Amino acid sequence: MTNQAQLLPGTLDLLILKAVSLGALHGYGVLLRIGQISGGALLIEQGALYPALFRLVRRGLLKASWGTSDNNRRAKFYEITSAGRKRLREEADGWNRLVAAIASALGAQPEEV
Amino acid sequence: MRLLAYLRSLASSVFHRSHAENEMDEELRTHIQIRADDLERSGLPRAEAERRAHVEFGGLERFKDEVRDARWETHLENLFRDFRYALRNLRKDRRFAFVAIFALALGIGASTVVFSVFYNLFFNAFSARDASRLAVPVIEDTDSPGDRSSLTLHLADLDIIREQNRVFENIVGYITAGGIVLANDASETYQFFDARVTPDAFEFYGVPALRGRGIVPDDGKPGAPPVFVMSYKTWKGTFHEDPKILGKTLTIDGEPRTLVGVMPQRFQAYGTQDDIWVPISRTRDTPREDGEFSAEILARLKPGVTLQVASADVDVIVRRLALLHPHDFPERFTVRVQSVTDYMLSPAGMAPVFHSDIKHLLYDLLAAVAMLLLIACSNVANLLLARATMREKEMALRSALGASRGRLVRQLLAESSVLAIAACAVGCLFAWVGVKFVPAIIPRVGDVYAGGRVGGETGVGLNPPVLFFALGLTVLATLICGLAPALHVARADLQPQLAGSGKGGNNDFRHGKLRAALVVAEVALSIVLLVGAGLMMRSFFLLTHVDLGFNPKNVLFAVFRPPPSHNKTGTVQIFASPQGQVVLRQVVDRLKALPGVTNVAVEDTIVGYGPGRGYQASVAGNPRSEETGILACDENFLQTLEMRLLRGRWLSEREVRTAQYVGVVNQRLARDFFADGDPVGQLIYVKAFTGPSRMPQDVEFRIIGVVADVKNVGPQQPAIPTIFLPYTVRGGFALLLKTSVDPASLRHAVQEQVWAVDRDEIIGVASPLEDFLQKFTYATPEFGLAIAMPLASVSLLLVVVGIFSVTAYTVSLRTQEFGIRMALGAQQRDILRMVLSKGFTLIASGILFGLLASYALTRFLASQIWGVSATDPWTFGGVVVLIVIVGLAASLFPARRAARVDPLVALRYE
Repeated sequence: MTNQAQLLPGTLDLLILKAVSLGALHGYGVLLRIGQISGGALLIEQGALYPALFRLVRRGLLKASWGTSDNNRRAKFYEITSAGRKRLREEADGWNRLVAAIASALGAQPEEV
Repeated sequence: MRLLAYLRSLASSVFHRSHAENEMDEELRTHIQIRADDLERSGLPRAEAERRAHVEFGGLERFKDEVRDARWETHLENLFRDFRYALRNLRKDRRFAFVAIFALALGIGASTVVFSVFYNLFFNAFSARDASRLAVPVIEDTDSPGDRSSLTLHLADLDIIREQNRVFENIVGYITAGGIVLANDASETYQFFDARVTPDAFEFYGVPALRGRGIVPDDGKPGAPPVFVMSYKTWKGTFHEDPKILGKTLTIDGEPRTLVGVMPQRFQAYGTQDDIWVPISRTRDTPREDGEFSAEILARLKPGVTLQVASADVDVIVRRLALLHPHDFPERFTVRVQSVTDYMLSPAGMAPVFHSDIKHLLYDLLAAVAMLLLIACSNVANLLLARATMREKEMALRSALGASRGRLVRQLLAESSVLAIAACAVGCLFAWVGVKFVPAIIPRVGDVYAGGRVGGETGVGLNPPVLFFALGLTVLATLICGLAPALHVARADLQPQLAGSGKGGNNDFRHGKLRAALVVAEVALSIVLLVGAGLMMRSFFLLTHVDLGFNPKNVLFAVFRPPPSHNKTGTVQIFASPQGQVVLRQVVDRLKALPGVTNVAVEDTIVGYGPGRGYQASVAGNPRSEETGILACDENFLQTLEMRLLRGRWLSEREVRTAQYVGVVNQRLARDFFADGDPVGQLIYVKAFTGPSRMPQDVEFRIIGVVADVKNVGPQQPAIPTIFLPYTVRGGFALLLKTSVDPASLRHAVQEQVWAVDRDEIIGVASPLEDFLQKFTYATPEFGLAIAMPLASVSLLLVVVGIFSVTAYTVSLRTQEFGIRMALGAQQRDILRMVLSKGFTLIASGILFGLLASYALTRFLASQIWGVSATDPWTFGGVVVLIVIVGLAASLFPARRAARVDPLVALRYE
């Protein structure tokens, strides 16, 4: 638990977009994919995923269709739309800038001030 | 197509909600199954794996709710549910709902009525096409500021303006100077107000005829068959809506003309009260005739041209015209272009006499209804707040069960909007009834004798913009009323509510303060309204009780004159001529013999408003020269009007018959020129006096008497110096009949007698003298009063409800306390005093704020009141007394109930 980071508000959508951008997934698959790409460092409450997915579909960033899962269950699969890709790029850029800024702020030494 | 698809998806998501719901169920179930599959693969038995998967997922319903919340259909559904809930709640408390709806409905209804008048008079006053761009050029004599009248021009000059201006789409001219014409068919003679219009006028107005057609440019071509067009009023009134009237031929002012059209009801050619319209036949080559009546002008601005730009443009052109024809214009002047609404609302040049400022009156009334609406809203807010307190426990419970604050606030707002919507419906009903009464009291100074022609074709009704306004008010009312209780809920702390007794407990204090503040605001606002209405009432009372110096009761004022076609010399001159005198004498003798007539006098003005003005008078030995009015009358004038003779004697029959240069002066003139000396026997000189010869000459009159001042520039102003002369010296054309019966009932008899002497005479007016006072002076303040009084009364009623409900509520909260006090020995009257003093504190603070606000605000009323100061202490005092009495009475009832509390019952109340 200790090396699992708390999710910052607003970052869930970004993570979902990223996960889905790598290939169509069902809900549970999204969770697994996020776990996998973050090296297990990010934990997402299972139920919290669905309101977020729904929101993204509503906004036209994802689209959903019914399909069959690996273990032969009927499941809803999510795919990223072109609007979603665009948003992902923008958000990722913004995030990187923020991270860089904060990292440099935190790395500041007394003599630099 | 897209809209259709959208609607279909909306419909399907609302009606097939279960489908979306099922999908969500399935998706979440699948999730858990897949997770369970994973767990099973890691070695757990299936049952345990599913259990574990469920636990990991957490509250299924909670997440479902969150998903639902993300869908707007859910909001819609919640909205419906909130409304249903609000309705159910309000149905449980009918008395509350009734009071709240009634209060709001009064506010919304009153506002809607006033707005309807405002909108229809200011923005929808004319039926003509693009009426908002209609404009009238007015000319102001720079040498006598305020002397402003509409620019009138010879038709040739009109053409010049039409060609040279760059600001008007078009301009038309109309001539009403002829006023009334006689028209005959084979059997009857009619009198019509007529207007001669340039032939393009009806195209300009752009109002389609009700029957037939309007006047078209071809009608004005030389040799075109002579035609005329009739107003709806005349068609209905004189011809009883005869459906076959088109094609009828009437001899109008001596010329046979064929009726080609009847105009619709609203069309009045912007306010002039015309019965018929006749085209002016004129071509470019018609010479500029000097004796011709000049035309008034109506123009339509090009889109985007401002009044300032238009004023500048027209001013330049008119100045050029003035160089060519200097006699037609004042020596120094400016021309401005006014919007037609402004022009109509401010009687040009007549404002000082008529003293009517309906424009500001309407602004004041709008402000007044806004206050009334605020009072109604704070009343309802107060009631809602009381309910909210009662329901604190319920709210706390619902909140504990998971209702978010937003949801609770939404519910309260739903409640207030249910109230407001119901009130809107009822209010519109009130307004619908209200506007039926309004047109009758709108001051329509719309006839040939008045400069202003307000509302000639205004229909005050509930048209779409007015209804939108009512709807806007409803939204506003919802927010204002719902805000206080909603904020209260949003800030509330659950814990003590659930723990406490549910009677309010610790929140009461703050809460009580808010409610008290609302009552104070109500009282203060209502004081402002009452003071305003009180000032208007006092002003109106003073106005109608001014000592006029004469008695207008039972006096019929009648004017007759030869038709315009015979009338090249002017009416005054005709009646000063020997033939005119004969006619006049015969008519007077016949009228004297009429039953119901006790006296007949000849004179030349509407008594109370205008003697001939602009003369300079002086006396020997006094360097002073003063503007003096000249009133031409006969020997019966004094007696007919019951004027008071102070010195000397009145004109004798012989002096009138032989046209002696003698005169009776009024007290003002006597005082100004002779101070305390005796003016009788003295000579008074009048410069540039125009007698029957029309040539101005300096004359002198011997003073034979002095009369008490008779108001002669309207009742509001002191009389100007006046000389009463024999009418034979100057000409007189008006008759005053003192009657023993209702003067209006003699109209027809007078017409018959005049026509018995000369069939060609036109009866210009035959109205009771009191009607002129009413129309010129009383109508506007009376209109203001007729609207302001009900507003003020309703505000008082609402204040009573407000004070009553707050006191009653406080009493109910403190029943227990009173019980204990009484058990400990407090007397009934102590309790009574406690409650009353609480009520009195509220009233007193309301009065304080109200007086301060009134003091600051009544100055805006200054243009509407006359004879009282805007801070009249009597009015302020009276209103305070009224509010104190009414307020104490409203708190007395609950106080008595409190005092009658049985201590035992009260203590068991818990």
